[in-house]
Amino acid sequence: MVTVAWSVAGPAIGAAFLASLVEVVEAFTIVLAVGTLRGWRPAALGTVAALAVLALLIALLGPLLDQVPLHLLQFIIGVLLLLFGMGWLRKAILRAAGIIPLHDEDAIFASESARLTEAAVQQRTSLDWIAGLTAFKAVLLEGLEVVFIVIAVGAGRGLLWPAAAGALAACLAILAIGIVVHKPLAKVPENTLKFGVGVMLSAFGVFWTGEGLGIDWPGQDIALVVFAALFLGVGLATASALRRPTVEIAR
Amino acid sequence: MSIIVEVAKELLGMFLADARLTATTLVLVAIVAGLVLALRVEPLLGGGMLLLGCLAILVEAAVREARRRNAT
Repeated sequence: MVTVAWSVAGPAIGAAFLASLVEVVEAFTIVLAVGTLRGWRPAALGTVAALAVLALLIALLGPLLDQVPLHLLQFIIGVLLLLFGMGWLRKAILRAAGIIPLHDEDAIFASESARLTEAAVQQRTSLDWIAGLTAFKAVLLEGLEVVFIVIAVGAGRGLLWPAAAGALAACLAILAIGIVVHKPLAKVPENTLKFGVGVMLSAFGVFWTGEGLGIDWPGQDIALVVFAALFLGVGLATASALRRPTVEIAR
Repeated sequence: MSIIVEVAKELLGMFLADARLTATTLVLVAIVAGLVLALRVEPLLGGGMLLLGCLAILVEAAVREARRRNAT
């Protein structure tokens, strides 16, 4: 039986959980708008159809990845993680610094509701179809990033199932909270989560790319934690240096 | 059909949100790979270059975008 150190499994599961949390919150907002305006049947059908497509994607990609030699797989995934993780981290830094606006779930819910209402006025015959398709697209597009992250943090060390479990736990958590509060989850600290996920994905990216090139990192898996600390420190310092002075609004 | 286009755009956007960040990261990885695999440079030195290079690219990308947005 293959045992995996918690220093690698922990960040992999944590990254999958936190990244999924962010993406599921975004998808939930749109599904909620569809369900509230057009009923829960098209919302549920669209969501289930998108989840089926995503599951199919994992089922098709999983066996394919097994065919790729480990070092090559680590290298390819490492480079993709670097591009994706640093992209997330860059955006999170800019949001933390106040350069670009934070994600506003209430505003997204309002604009999606307005879009659906407008569609209802224009196309009376296929409203449920449009509503279902909207939920389908939201879950599929947000889910693509979750699938990539699960595969990326999981495939390099045989952690696909633990990472998938982390993502599933996030889905269930948001679903449970969503059912209780029944409104957009605007209070979720999305940018803090994105900052954390960007840090972990970038750290994984350096780690896997290096391992793919045959680099034996000192401290082995502990190096991953050191990389994450460095990305976090540099990210926070950059956000702090770029932070715009707060403007007081006169009342 | 529009869903396929949107999926393709989403996938592309995942890795190409900032074209310069993507390009410089790929160049850095290519340089480190060349040094370690072809020129047999000490792998740990290559690893250090990769880590520090990525941190530098990240800072440059954030500062560049902040300056661009502040200028407009």
